[in-house]
Amino acid sequence: MESNPIPELLPGTLYLLILRTLSCGPLHGYAIVKRIKDASREGLRIEDGSLYPALNRMLVKGWLTSEWGVSENNRKARFYRLTPEGRKQLDKEAGEFDRLVRAIQLVMRTA
Amino acid sequence: MAFWNEIGSRVAWLFRRSRFDREFEEEVRFHIQARADDLEQAGLSGAEALRQARREFGSPLRSREETRSAWQIRWLEDLGSDLRYAARAVRRNRALALAAVGSLALGIGANTTIFSVAREALFSQPSCRDPQSLVQISVSGNTWIPMPQYRLMEDAHAFDGLAGMNIQMVVNWRDGNHTYRLAGTRVTDNFFEVTGIPVAMGRPIERGESDVAVVTHGFWTRHLGGDPNVVGRKLALDGKAYTVVGVLPRDHRMLAGFGFTPDLYLTKDPGEVMLYARLPRGMTRQAAYARLKPICRELDRVYPDVSRKWAKEVGLSAVGGTERLQENGQEAMPVVAFFGMLVVVTGIVVLIACANVSGLLLARAFTRSREFAIRMSLGGSRGRLVRQLLAESLLLALLGTGAGLLLNLWLTRLLSGAHIPTPLPIELLIQPDRMLLAYSVALAFVVTLATGLVPAIKGTRAGIGGALKEGGLQAGPAGYTLRNALVVGQLAISILLLSAGLLFIRNLMYATSFNAGFDTSHTVVGTFQTVWGSYTPPKFAALVDTALERLRALPGVEAASPASAVPLNPFLAFNQPGGQFRPDAGSRTVRVAYNFNAVGPDYFRIMGIPILRGRAFADSDRLGAPEVVILNENLARRLFGNTNPVGHILRFPNNRDATVVGIARNCKYVTLGEENAMAVYKPHAQQNYAAFAHFFVRTRAAPETMIRKVDETLAGLDAAAAVETRSMGEIFAGALLPSRVGAAILASMALFGLMLASIGLYGVLLYAVQQRIREIGIRVALGATPGNVLAMIVSQSLKLVMAGMVIGLAVAAAAVRPLAMFLVPEVRPADPMNFVAVASVLALVAALATVAPTARALRVDPAVALRHE
Repeated sequence: MESNPIPELLPGTLYLLILRTLSCGPLHGYAIVKRIKDASREGLRIEDGSLYPALNRMLVKGWLTSEWGVSENNRKARFYRLTPEGRKQLDKEAGEFDRLVRAIQLVMRTA
Repeated sequence: MAFWNEIGSRVAWLFRRSRFDREFEEEVRFHIQARADDLEQAGLSGAEALRQARREFGSPLRSREETRSAWQIRWLEDLGSDLRYAARAVRRNRALALAAVGSLALGIGANTTIFSVAREALFSQPSCRDPQSLVQISVSGNTWIPMPQYRLMEDAHAFDGLAGMNIQMVVNWRDGNHTYRLAGTRVTDNFFEVTGIPVAMGRPIERGESDVAVVTHGFWTRHLGGDPNVVGRKLALDGKAYTVVGVLPRDHRMLAGFGFTPDLYLTKDPGEVMLYARLPRGMTRQAAYARLKPICRELDRVYPDVSRKWAKEVGLSAVGGTERLQENGQEAMPVVAFFGMLVVVTGIVVLIACANVSGLLLARAFTRSREFAIRMSLGGSRGRLVRQLLAESLLLALLGTGAGLLLNLWLTRLLSGAHIPTPLPIELLIQPDRMLLAYSVALAFVVTLATGLVPAIKGTRAGIGGALKEGGLQAGPAGYTLRNALVVGQLAISILLLSAGLLFIRNLMYATSFNAGFDTSHTVVGTFQTVWGSYTPPKFAALVDTALERLRALPGVEAASPASAVPLNPFLAFNQPGGQFRPDAGSRTVRVAYNFNAVGPDYFRIMGIPILRGRAFADSDRLGAPEVVILNENLARRLFGNTNPVGHILRFPNNRDATVVGIARNCKYVTLGEENAMAVYKPHAQQNYAAFAHFFVRTRAAPETMIRKVDETLAGLDAAAAVETRSMGEIFAGALLPSRVGAAILASMALFGLMLASIGLYGVLLYAVQQRIREIGIRVALGATPGNVLAMIVSQSLKLVMAGMVIGLAVAAAAVRPLAMFLVPEVRPADPMNFVAVASVLALVAALATVAPTARALRVDPAVALRHE
């Protein structure tokens, strides 16, 4: 219903967003979605259906680990934590993303 | 690195799939609950909030599938289930599986064993420190160099050491009352220091030492009883006491390569050596060559020699691995070719086994074509079906290769370390290694594709509609062409293999009943070797005379003669000199390579070699008397043409003249395969021998009964001499062993191949006829007589067989031609009899395989045949 005004994610940015979100500490899946939504002032929304496949692909790649814990309102929840490899990946992807955005902006301004 | 971690976590996931499902469900439940909590706080009612949260999340099922696929190694799981399915299919059809695995295992076992032996004999690295910086040196195109020249080169200190060894020496070892001939490699005192050959016990020979020896593991266990206190023990070698200082490890591989293994290394003047240089760190071959060249020029200055220029053809070559083979191509070629041929022949056997298995699987695939069609019509992809069929052949290939490897391990264990009774002592140390594993894996892969690809692709090709109709495929053109191609191909390969195999069987038969041009049935040969330097030539000549006197005095002895060489025995070989002869001491020169033997007057009588013209040697042909010579027919014709050479003078390459007194009939000298070999005989008494002679003794009774007496007589002459007495037949058996082993392997492979090919051909033809049982039923029902049907099927089958035979014979006729170099000249590869024999055997099999099932089909009630599937 409110999906129209929300822009689609650039391909590959989902990993970056998740990595960045987790860089402040472990979170469960719902909190990740919420954090991204809030931080982007509702400008970005991750579809619930695509969040878990992405998280699991990142687990396979070894960027994240997961463990079961208790949520803020005392429910059993699965928390995801960045591994050192994930941190490296974040630095790499963030740098690449910056360069990409700056390049696009340059083109947009001059052309 | 990351890649492997990923694979690891994926594989680990395979083992906790059920836990994954449980946890995912829980996680999704939490997610929806948390969202609902938020919505509730925003003012929705509890039930409404939960509904809204569920809607937002979408399908948990789809999410779970996608999440799961993040972990899956799809093909691995598919492969697992395919293999399980294949295992069930294989278990259901035990006879087929057993036949397939058994024939694959035999072929693969033989093939990998040849691979292992060839790898060890040809490509193994010698045991020494850093083989890369060790090189073998040759000067004036020769790897052997006399000791004085060696010393000059060593004194030049051009490298980090220059050492020499002589592998061709025999030493006499006096142990108790018996003297043994040992293969003793004589080395310079710095040999172990330069080469860095490791020892297992004690220490190596050190610079400046003399009268010391290092024994090999084999000699230590066989002759010294594996004595743990052997270091320090004295061995009486050539009449002198040598101290054993070390024992080599079991896996010692000699620098000479090819599995050659002496009994011991000892410090004794080698006379002539093969040179090994240790290059300083980082020195290239080119730099080494540049340093070597001036030293060789110095050799030419100090030791001028008209017949050889030292600085000519100077070379450095690697001591191991493929490099050595490339650099010593000439010497290694026959061995490489021999192994190459064995690998190819055993490879063809594997291919025939593959063709059989392929035929069986194809038949199965056709009978299952309805099942496949149904699966495809239900949406199964063809690729998936192909993979499933390939899994079956993969399973068979893995089982076959596994069993073949077990066979390989067993055979190589038998061969490894066995003292092979060839004239040169050879021991191979074969150990399974990564190369063998890699080779087997590659082989299994090839076998999988060779057995499975055709059935998998052809079996699944039928369109959905066609195959669903009852028996639609049986009449389909694809089925026909393929079956026909299978029959033709199988026949062609079989003919090729069997033609080669038959040649070797005939060669084997010929070699066991060969005619070498002399008589071996009543001859005993005693090889007599005194300690070097213990006799002067005149004293040794007197000793030989005494020996002959005593031998002739033995009861049962007809005649006795000394000789310097034993025919057809590489270790007791003929000298094969060559050079320019001048017949009649004139100006005309003839360049000839020839075999040389110095023999006594009775030699020709003992060997049964007729003197065609002139006379044999006489007792009067002694030192001081005019020099005389006997030529064989070939050489006489070459030197003198059609004129009778008896009485003519012949000037030898060393400028000495001798009068030709007789012409001996041609016979074999070094190998049975030689043709038109030249030979020169000179009187033994006119040579300056001082240490070594063979005594040929002709006996009246069976030679075996005389061996001991001859042996005792010769041993009684000199207690320090090594005596080895055997019957001529036994000597030949040893000399012919390598070619016999090769022939036996090839012949057994050919027989095995014939069996496989016959079974395969029978199976394919049988299947082809069985496929037509329905058609036969229809024809009979419509009124065809059994004779008509039989004639039709036989003529169609005949066409295929003819096509296969023509192709096979054409290929075989071309392919067997190079085999001539392994065969005695009497067995000609192009002999049409070979092909006729092979073709008739296969034609017989083909006829049986066509007629038998057709006849059975004709007996079947047409009503039953029509229902036949």
